[in-house]
Amino acid sequence: MPYQPTQNSRDTAVRLPHVVCTVSELAAGQRVIFSFNGLSIGVFNVNGAYHALLNRCPHRGAPLCEGRLTASVTAPQPYSYSRDREGEILKCPWHGWEFDILTGRSVFMPEKIRVKAYPTTIEQSQQHPLIAKYDVSVIAHLVVVWLSK
Amino acid sequence: MLNQNHIRVVDTDVHHNIRDKTDLYPFLTRHFRERLDEYGMPRSTDLFSSNGGYRGARADCFEGEEDVDPRSRFELFDKKLLVDCAVDIAILQGEYTAPLLSLVDVEYSAALCRAFNDWTIAHWLDRDSRYRLALTVPIQDSALAVQEINRLGNHPAVVAVYLICGNTRLYGNRYFDPVYAACADHGLPIALHFSNEGVGMNPAPTASGYPSYYGEMYLLRPQFYQSHLSSFIFEGTFEKFSELKIVFLESGFGWVPSFRWRANTAWKALRAQTPWVKKLPSDYIDQHIRFSTQPFEEPDPPTAMSDLLLWMNGAQTLMFSSDFPHWDFDPPEVIATRVPPEIRANILAKNALSTYPKLA
Repeated sequence: MPYQPTQNSRDTAVRLPHVVCTVSELAAGQRVIFSFNGLSIGVFNVNGAYHALLNRCPHRGAPLCEGRLTASVTAPQPYSYSRDREGEILKCPWHGWEFDILTGRSVFMPEKIRVKAYPTTIEQSQQHPLIAKYDVSVIAHLVVVWLSK
Repeated sequence: MLNQNHIRVVDTDVHHNIRDKTDLYPFLTRHFRERLDEYGMPRSTDLFSSNGGYRGARADCFEGEEDVDPRSRFELFDKKLLVDCAVDIAILQGEYTAPLLSLVDVEYSAALCRAFNDWTIAHWLDRDSRYRLALTVPIQDSALAVQEINRLGNHPAVVAVYLICGNTRLYGNRYFDPVYAACADHGLPIALHFSNEGVGMNPAPTASGYPSYYGEMYLLRPQFYQSHLSSFIFEGTFEKFSELKIVFLESGFGWVPSFRWRANTAWKALRAQTPWVKKLPSDYIDQHIRFSTQPFEEPDPPTAMSDLLLWMNGAQTLMFSSDFPHWDFDPPEVIATRVPPEIRANILAKNALSTYPKLA
């Protein structure tokens, strides 16, 4: 059945599907960066689930999605290191700001620097920069990102 | 030669490097070439075995070749710095030349400095007229440093002399006066950059020894520059060298207002102990010291930036730097978005054009 523009339940913006690649072109642990309407967006396959982020760090505008994948690194107490959620954290290639790919929230200040809840809306403010997160679907064998019109 | 009116962005802190030690072979005598071949490049400044980004560089600069130092990629600089950032003039401070300056064998150090400078002229300055060089000189031995300044100081694209904060003496010490005299002869400012603190023969980087982590060392940098700044002022360096300019690269600048105020207070009370210091310390700073923007301060609240720039006389004393291709790089957009419009042109280019005489 042909794909129709749909309404976001939490927003009135019209959402359009954008075919990024085939599933076989985006293996677990890999990413694809594409441009559409002047926006650069990165799509990540994290352990079989797909997530899309705006390829622009809210800090200084670096190509965030070109950053290295890393883990959640914490310390139960000083001088100890604990790693989990390997491959689920994206580290900005410039100043090293870490973002949770699954939520778009920053690791160091998740309440203030995080993804907007409306999936296809990009919002940034000077004081509390947000990174945009998009809905990603797999339709047949295609990876599709939903963009606002 | 570029028309000065068309120069909109001067980047005062860019770091290039050789790809491999063999790059220097054509510029060395056989004796020192064999030594370099046998022992490799001196690499002695790494206290922490750690850095930011990826191996200290922007992680988006490796382009799939992880074994190639981005600082050695001429074409990468062209694309990601000169084109993407619309930089008109980029002043090069060599990467990994700092270890040369903690060698105790000063003749070998001088030979490697000469080779690095000659290689830079042949492979960067001669290939693209937008590059300028801050000369690496063997500052452990002031006579050899002067020799290198005299050898290349008249090259049209050599615009400064590159020194590093780590040393056995503070830079106002009269031991360095011959170096400043040579700079004056050639119209060259000093470009001072952190490095080598606590390394080799240099003393520990703090009054109480060594920090444990790279993040601490990153935060400690202002004190390296504060130490040299008070030395320059109270030793009377600027009374002896009235045209000398010192550029502080990557020093941060949020500390500058406090330093100016405290130095003025101290001078008023203690002036008679150093009567050759004839002016307010802040006057010397206005006339002789220039600060660079990267890593750009992030005050909280952000609106405090206007006050900070006013308090440090940033309209006159601050110059843009990107630190490309290091991980804490700042693009020129930082100036366009965080600095009041009336002083942006000063910071992006005009202050540099009046600080480096050979750029004008």
